[in-house]
Amino acid sequence: MLISIFILLLISVVAIALIVASGTESSLAGNYRSATGVYYASLAGLEEARGRLFAKDPNSFKNKAPNMLPPPGTTFDIGYASYVLNPGPADGNVLTTYPDTEYDIEFGGGALTAVVAAGQRNTTASIWNSSPLNGLSFPGPLYKWVRINAVSEPSLGRPVAPYDGHALDPTKPIFYDGAQLNVSNSGSQVLEITALAVLPNGSQKLLQYLAAPISVAFPPLPAALTLAGKITGGSSTVAYSSPSSTNNQFRVQGLDQDCNGNLTGTNNVVAIGVFNSTDTAVVTAGIPNGLRSTNYQGGSPPNSPDIEVVYSSFPSAMRSPSGLDTVVQTIIQNADVVITPTPSGTPPYLGTATGSDLTPLGMTSTNLLTVIVNGNLDISNWSQDGYGLLLVTGTFTYDPDTSWNGIILVIGQGIVAGSHSQYKQINGAMLVAKTRDSNNLVLTGPDLADSSGVGASVIFANSMQGNGIRYSSCWVQKAKPTSSYKILSFREISQ
Amino acid sequence: MRRISGGVRQAGFSLIELLVALGIFLLVTGAAFTLLGSSQQRYQTESQVLTSFQEARLALDQIVRDVNDSGYPPPTYFVSGAPEQSASSPFAWSLGAGYPNTPCQIATGGGGSCTTATANNTSPGDFDLIVETNPTPLTSPNVSWIRYQLLGTTLYRGTAPKVSGGDPDAATSTQLVPFVQNVINNSSAAQITQYQTIYPSMFPLGAPVPIFSYNCDTGAAPVACPFSGYNSPANIRDVVVTLIVSAPTPDATTGVPRIVQLSGRGRRINPNQ
Repeated sequence: MLISIFILLLISVVAIALIVASGTESSLAGNYRSATGVYYASLAGLEEARGRLFAKDPNSFKNKAPNMLPPPGTTFDIGYASYVLNPGPADGNVLTTYPDTEYDIEFGGGALTAVVAAGQRNTTASIWNSSPLNGLSFPGPLYKWVRINAVSEPSLGRPVAPYDGHALDPTKPIFYDGAQLNVSNSGSQVLEITALAVLPNGSQKLLQYLAAPISVAFPPLPAALTLAGKITGGSSTVAYSSPSSTNNQFRVQGLDQDCNGNLTGTNNVVAIGVFNSTDTAVVTAGIPNGLRSTNYQGGSPPNSPDIEVVYSSFPSAMRSPSGLDTVVQTIIQNADVVITPTPSGTPPYLGTATGSDLTPLGMTSTNLLTVIVNGNLDISNWSQDGYGLLLVTGTFTYDPDTSWNGIILVIGQGIVAGSHSQYKQINGAMLVAKTRDSNNLVLTGPDLADSSGVGASVIFANSMQGNGIRYSSCWVQKAKPTSSYKILSFREISQ
Repeated sequence: MRRISGGVRQAGFSLIELLVALGIFLLVTGAAFTLLGSSQQRYQTESQVLTSFQEARLALDQIVRDVNDSGYPPPTYFVSGAPEQSASSPFAWSLGAGYPNTPCQIATGGGGSCTTATANNTSPGDFDLIVETNPTPLTSPNVSWIRYQLLGTTLYRGTAPKVSGGDPDAATSTQLVPFVQNVINNSSAAQITQYQTIYPSMFPLGAPVPIFSYNCDTGAAPVACPFSGYNSPANIRDVVVTLIVSAPTPDATTGVPRIVQLSGRGRRINPNQ
């Protein structure tokens, strides 16, 4: 009997050991599943925030929670933190239940308390806690919050350009110029996006992006006014005529201005850029002799008059009609507004929009738009101002009743005209190029001119007034359209 | 027979009774010990399988984490005079193959130009991968090279700090420590034939199964590489990890090898270099 009991005991021990081992295996597999699940939950939070930073997203912060970000074109200062909150039913105040300890690690002890005390912490609900997704019968991703904030050198723990030995400055936000991070305000501001996800079993994951808006493929703007034409020269491919009155204030000026119209003394560009030396002569001839040295300044150092060959600034893919037209299509795809006036029945079959079509858009200095007019645009007697990027595929008729702050592209038929009086101006830059023929079909040759040699045309009548075109790198930078926020870096934060 | 007065006499077991009892006892204990022995063998086998499974699970998790973080921080974080503080490429290769300025060409089944000091080996390759990342940015500004390399049937892991002008291959090859044992991805043809007899679905091509296979960025969607024109380690977007691990000893009951296969995928999120 004793032996039997002993044997049964041994067998029971073995069985229990197997059960324990099986449980361990289940836990291990469960942990792996949790780790994967919480990783993707946190990634979902990062992606929601990154998507909503993009102004054209239907759920963008700009549209749904304007307090989350400073107005467009304004720097997101250090010391502000914006949170997207995605609490579960039992989470209560999610920022209390799952406090953000990472902020203090990056910005110093007590930094988040100071942000809250200063009233500089903003919050908004996630799309999963907002209508209509909050009505779904299943839960959304289990991230708890996503923080968006500016970063500084100390918060990153490293210096960025310029590498001049400067001390790490906790007050200067970091920017991205397309190649590197910098504290020189060059390019777009870098934002940090941090997401915390917590699963019901307690698994937590903190992930972080650095992201910055990127511009869509865009032609260079090497001059206040660029008249793209034929590279190889020979016969002229552009036409230019300026108002002739010698006391006219009409200028095409490549001397850089800031967004308030003050000369910066840096970043100067060419006044009028062309693609070949023949066109240089043609444009010069289109300017009254008495105005050439006074009203057409630019370049570095400044020249008078400053009319230069600039085609080398253009990537080879953008020097042909088909290449430039492809860029135009990309810009159209990322536009805020596309206006297509009723087409005419005669070639090039383009309708005409007017200033009244622009009025409802509500453009302001903090609401810059990318506006496409797929046809002609005549803003004669439109007395409001425009802000952003204007792309006209037909003929653009300008009236100095209007200031345009930003970029004007006239690419397609490549024709600009003007004859009105008044005193306003274009602040930014203008590019005119002919990429389409009289039937509005893309030109097939290599030159930005049709088979008869007709290319970009800017003809301002003698009666034209206004202050002309004043280059402003500030407005150009603000007006360049963005396609999305590019991920500059990603890391998983150990907890 | 006459009974002695004043006492009670009991009859003893007969010899036959004793023999029968002994026989039953032997049968019962024999069966019990046989069962016990069988249970112990089963326990040992399952325990070994479980240990291998756990090792492989942990390894897979670690590899995927490292791949996810590869390329951090990218060159946009470049600090002048301190190239070791940013990743030159999310995945490194040997100095002799051109690291970091000349991209080597990834290949599968050997070949390519990402050669290492180990004969017939490449990194990035089927059984060798060097991740370049900073796993602890708050405690150290410097990037590390984290290497996974299969030597024989042991997958090794080694970490070395990135050194400007250094060789990721040489620096990590001296830091390798055993990470997962009994990895049989790169078995011989004879062994693969044996495994396929028992597990027909494993080694589907009848050839070694790469631990690391790659999807590379192209002008469009990522595709399996090598893909002409996009074979640089800097183009690797996904690393598909397949670990085939056997228990140290064959099944004690059946005598066949016990094998576990795990798969995972790491995705680099940091941008192209």
